[in-house]
Amino acid sequence: MSELKPRKDLLDIESLSLEEIEYVLENAFPFKQLFQRSVKKVPTLRGKTVLNLFYEPSTRTSSSFEVAASRLSADVTNFTISASSVVKGESLLDTIETLQAMRSDYIVVRHQSAGVPGIVAKHTGASVVNAGDGYHAHPTQALLDSMTFREVYPEYQGRKIVIVGDILHSRVARSTSTLFNKLGVEVGVLGPGSLVPAGRHDFMQRFSSWDDVFDWGPDAIYLLRVQMERQEGQFFPSIAEYHRMYGMNSERVARMRQLGAYLMHPGPVNRGVEITDEAMGYEKSLISTQVENGIAVRMAVLHWLKPEIHAD
Amino acid sequence: MKRLFKNGSIAKGDSKEFEKADVLVGEWGTIELVAPEVSADTETEVVDCEGCLLVPGMFDLNVRAREPGFEHKETLVSCAEAALNGGVTGCVLMPDTAPPTDSGTLVKAVQDLVSENSPIPMLVSGCLTKKREGQAMAGFSGMVSRGVPMLTDSGNEVQCPDLLRRCMEYARDFDVLVACHCNTSALTKAGAVNEGPVSYRLGLPGIPTISQEIAIDRDIRVAGFTNARLHLQQVSTRGAVRSVAAAKADGVRLTCEVSPHHLLMSEEYIADYDTKYKLDPPLRCQSDVDAMLRGLIDGTIDAIASDHSPHTEFEKSSDFATAPFGVSGLDTTVLALYDGFIKPGYFGWDLLIQRYSIAPRKIAGVDPVSIKEGEKADFFVFDPNAETAITREYLKTKSPVTPFLGRTLAGAIRQTVVGDFCFAK
Repeated sequence: MSELKPRKDLLDIESLSLEEIEYVLENAFPFKQLFQRSVKKVPTLRGKTVLNLFYEPSTRTSSSFEVAASRLSADVTNFTISASSVVKGESLLDTIETLQAMRSDYIVVRHQSAGVPGIVAKHTGASVVNAGDGYHAHPTQALLDSMTFREVYPEYQGRKIVIVGDILHSRVARSTSTLFNKLGVEVGVLGPGSLVPAGRHDFMQRFSSWDDVFDWGPDAIYLLRVQMERQEGQFFPSIAEYHRMYGMNSERVARMRQLGAYLMHPGPVNRGVEITDEAMGYEKSLISTQVENGIAVRMAVLHWLKPEIHAD
Repeated sequence: MKRLFKNGSIAKGDSKEFEKADVLVGEWGTIELVAPEVSADTETEVVDCEGCLLVPGMFDLNVRAREPGFEHKETLVSCAEAALNGGVTGCVLMPDTAPPTDSGTLVKAVQDLVSENSPIPMLVSGCLTKKREGQAMAGFSGMVSRGVPMLTDSGNEVQCPDLLRRCMEYARDFDVLVACHCNTSALTKAGAVNEGPVSYRLGLPGIPTISQEIAIDRDIRVAGFTNARLHLQQVSTRGAVRSVAAAKADGVRLTCEVSPHHLLMSEEYIADYDTKYKLDPPLRCQSDVDAMLRGLIDGTIDAIASDHSPHTEFEKSSDFATAPFGVSGLDTTVLALYDGFIKPGYFGWDLLIQRYSIAPRKIAGVDPVSIKEGEKADFFVFDPNAETAITREYLKTKSPVTPFLGRTLAGAIRQTVVGDFCFAK
């Protein structure tokens, strides 16, 4: 593989070249093979430090980064900032100043406001990995999703995936659909009109019913998590109605099975909302694979990025 | 000392032609002579204006000097300097100070501060509702007796249509102008940018165009119903321009303004979450920007107003969703519009003078200014062949947060003259 231009930060999917995407995905596979061994560690980042800076609670993503970093032999610090301490007055720039003093090599950032990882990246020499910002982007999720898809479909180009649920508020939908589109996978969306903004992504085909989705014949169905706390009543009438209209149930699983389609979900799953208990047992569910691949992809990303820190 | 502005050309609001003439300003600040080839005596300072225009001073309807209450953002002194630096010789101050100017006493207090600190007239507007909270009417009669040019809650639109109706009915008898910064808060919510492909791409909460348009349609209906005089601040969508044109044709007593930013920039400028493009209303799409220019030229839009809203760099350095709305505008509006429109030929100085000097003064109830014998001197010297680098040092406002920082704009303002006061660079 030819040498890539070194990259400091991973902030979104848009700015990635196909070569960079290939580089990360190809490196993720050997890292994954490592997980089968009794010793799962490599010394790649020995002596380096990774700081997990999470302004939003997220057990899964922060653990995934933590495991990825420790399997690369890096030291990991978790810096969880609750909303209340932000209210106390420390501004974002003050926090970045503090982080600078800690001299981390990598900073993994999650923030409720879009664009914050970019601000952190601008003010620090550390490599910044966006672990989710507002509705904007979640690039490592997109990379692990495409890794998972390519594992089951080595000939992935021209295949079809449909994303179901809240597109409007989903950074996962934005990043994952953009990456699939870059890779030549066709992307469709299904969801209530109030959560699928019209005319936003011209490359995505919009469906309004499961019948249309199944007629299209997707190779994978990607369910998004319903953010229940903020949406009931405002964007759809009730959880029960959402489940009836857009949820994955036994009948829809049967149709998936006919198509041979795989099931994906970024987790955590709301059982009984976007998916029923029975559907969770579907034999072609890739949900656990996604979690495992998440660690491998994040190892590949940390391995790939090059901090710009110079010893004084 | 007398001043003779020699070899310049006078720009006018009612003519595309410039008048080549020398202008002699007497020691009390009155224009004594406008004629070709005026000769100076030894007591007179001569300002060589070869190749330059003398342009009537501009007037800005939408300005925040931030005093009292937010002196870390701007003061009356820095605001007046920014105005003079930008060729603006008068303005209307919004009431969103702390405390807000919602009574005659508070209006008087700010008027006193203005007269102590500002060499240019800054008219203090009053609130429509107490504390700009949209709950109860402010004390109109006290504020009107202090001569407020308009009543407005500035950035806070009165959301209750019944309260707005009563405000307009009450204002009508005082014949005081009601100004509204149109916004439907139930639609705007926590929005930060125009809703559309850009908000989707950036993952920021959007503000739909209907948020402004529904409020404008409602306010126009209420003004028509009550026969009050209404001024719409900061129109930003093509639908809004259509509504204004229709209402004017229907005889509603209506005027409106647009900012230089909404004339010159679309939402596409907000790449990389740059908060100097975070405005209220937000920058819209290109077809809205085009509609602003058409409306300005055909007269549907009466006035240009900079919506001068200084914030500290630190405040604006926050993430996009959290950073406050608004940027400073007084230093740069004339230059930006010259650079963007006059120089490339979209419109002439006559239109800029109409929309940024004559009409705004008329809307605020003050006499227009012109460069004529017997008038008070009120103009600036503009060099169309120079250019101006917009740097921190150039800006006189305390807030260097403007989309034009770092850019070089065509034209240069050499000095601004208000009566016997001369702001020279």
